[in-house]
Amino acid sequence: MDEMSAFTWMITLPLLASPVVYLAGRISRRRNWDVGMISHWLAFWALAATWIPFALAASDLDKNGPDTFQVGQIALRLDDIGLLLAGLSLGLGTLVVLYSGPYISPDHGREKYHSLLVAMVGVMMGLGCAHDLFNLWVWFEAMAISSFLLVAFYHEQAASLEAGVKYVVQSAVGSALVLMGIALVLAQTGTLDLDKIRLAADDSNMLLAAGALFVIGFGVKTAMVPMHTWLPDAHSQAPSGISAMLSGVVIEAGLIALLRSLSALAGVTPTWGELLMAFGVLNMTVGNLMALRQTQVKRLLAYSSLSHVGYMLLGLGIALYAQDASGAQGSFFHMLNHGLMKGLAFLAAGAFLYALHVASGDHSPLLISDLSGAAKSYPMMALGLSLAVLSLGGLPPFAGFMSKWQIFAAGFETHNGWIQALVIFAALNSVLSLAYYAPLVNTLYRQSASPLVQHGHPLSIWICIPVMILTASVIAVGIWPGLFNWLSDPAGSALLAAFGLGG
Amino acid sequence: MSTLTILAGGALALFAVGLYGLLITRNMIKVVVALQILVKAALLALVVAGKASDQINLGQSLAMTVIVADTVVAVIGLALAVQVKRVLGTMDLTELSKLRG
Repeated sequence: MDEMSAFTWMITLPLLASPVVYLAGRISRRRNWDVGMISHWLAFWALAATWIPFALAASDLDKNGPDTFQVGQIALRLDDIGLLLAGLSLGLGTLVVLYSGPYISPDHGREKYHSLLVAMVGVMMGLGCAHDLFNLWVWFEAMAISSFLLVAFYHEQAASLEAGVKYVVQSAVGSALVLMGIALVLAQTGTLDLDKIRLAADDSNMLLAAGALFVIGFGVKTAMVPMHTWLPDAHSQAPSGISAMLSGVVIEAGLIALLRSLSALAGVTPTWGELLMAFGVLNMTVGNLMALRQTQVKRLLAYSSLSHVGYMLLGLGIALYAQDASGAQGSFFHMLNHGLMKGLAFLAAGAFLYALHVASGDHSPLLISDLSGAAKSYPMMALGLSLAVLSLGGLPPFAGFMSKWQIFAAGFETHNGWIQALVIFAALNSVLSLAYYAPLVNTLYRQSASPLVQHGHPLSIWICIPVMILTASVIAVGIWPGLFNWLSDPAGSALLAAFGLGG
Repeated sequence: MSTLTILAGGALALFAVGLYGLLITRNMIKVVVALQILVKAALLALVVAGKASDQINLGQSLAMTVIVADTVVAVIGLALAVQVKRVLGTMDLTELSKLRG
């Protein structure tokens, strides 16, 4: 066993902190100590402390290249893609923990929520570092398990239970399919290490079947249409902080797991790029069309996640098809931006849900019409939600425009008529998405406030701070689009290298 | 026909049984059972794959790990079933399809 290095501490720290958070919260409640927020603050400081090994690991990766940690046959390796996922999950995770303190009331089991959330962040950082097919599955399953309980967190509500049941059943089928795929790969190549599989892989039908199983199995978690039906329910019924994590990080973690498994099978068929583009177009179209007819804010945002996964898949497909890293760099940039924008949108929508419904013990969904005139009473939240949806819709000069532009530009550079047509289709989709984002902004800034808004509860400062940070960063990335290039550009090149395509 | 082929065929058959069960049943407990059958098929496939590539130890240790992870999923599924019964008073999943569109 090797020495523990910075990146293994980055993964271990949240995983060690998770049971501590639970026990501390539980004991303080049992003894009736007057420290109601102890699990919240412990969780926050655990994630804040994780930034130190993260920064060390990032600078180490920059200087010395990928670092490997070996336990027996199993290797964990931090490469640029892993660092991207770690940065995304740690960044959004820290803000969500801060936000969730006042949002989750103590009688709902605050300590369970925080300990699972911290564990989920740690597990996702581990998922990015897995360098072995089976190890990847284990992290993937651990991520699924920690998110199951968080989705069905309001376990006295029939709607939350329904979302939880759908999510558990679909994820479990997906992971069984992935296991079958792993068995096929093991039988055919005799190894599970991603690099060794790529060297041993030939164009056999067994491995093609394994690839199809990976696409379907990991596609459930990535919410690729038609494996997406759990997503709108889970995202709209989970507590809002969890909706932000699910939409901003968990589906992207599924996407990275899919890319890792396909990169091992790169030699089996040259058409993975086309396949990803096809799913991308499906996702965009279905996501946008379904979002158009939603009346609930969180459900609308959930369907918009589908279409944004579509843009990422399109960029990745273009990169694999054209063997050029720029599409993948655009996609990873969009992944980071989507984390910020969707995180902001769900946290701001969650703040409204809290102020208008949850704080008075009401678990009905937040309708778009409930928000009528809300900007008067909650100017900060209204600004955050409006900026988030305008940025999601791809209006310049916000973050979403910059990354979509990079993906579309990469598509045009291929000089392939079909891909250019796809890119134009994607751009039209992006315009179409404004048809459901714009009315939301319009409703927020109406003159007369709805009775619900007039009787709304005030918001805690801890809910406002994460929303303000995210608002500022969405604007900042729009003005300085190069802000995250140090994360997204190397990740794009690393992906191409993993597929064995120059880079 | 070699033993391995028969076992691989058995894994596929089990998988088909699990999927069929998932598609036809509307009872929450039976859904959990069907999920278990699916994962058992994958377990068998892993062990067979280990044997086929002359690494039976690897195949078996993978299977052990899957058993652990899969038990946790089963426990969560059953916990949800208990809660569904408490809240809705029934195990029938047709009652649990209010979220649409």
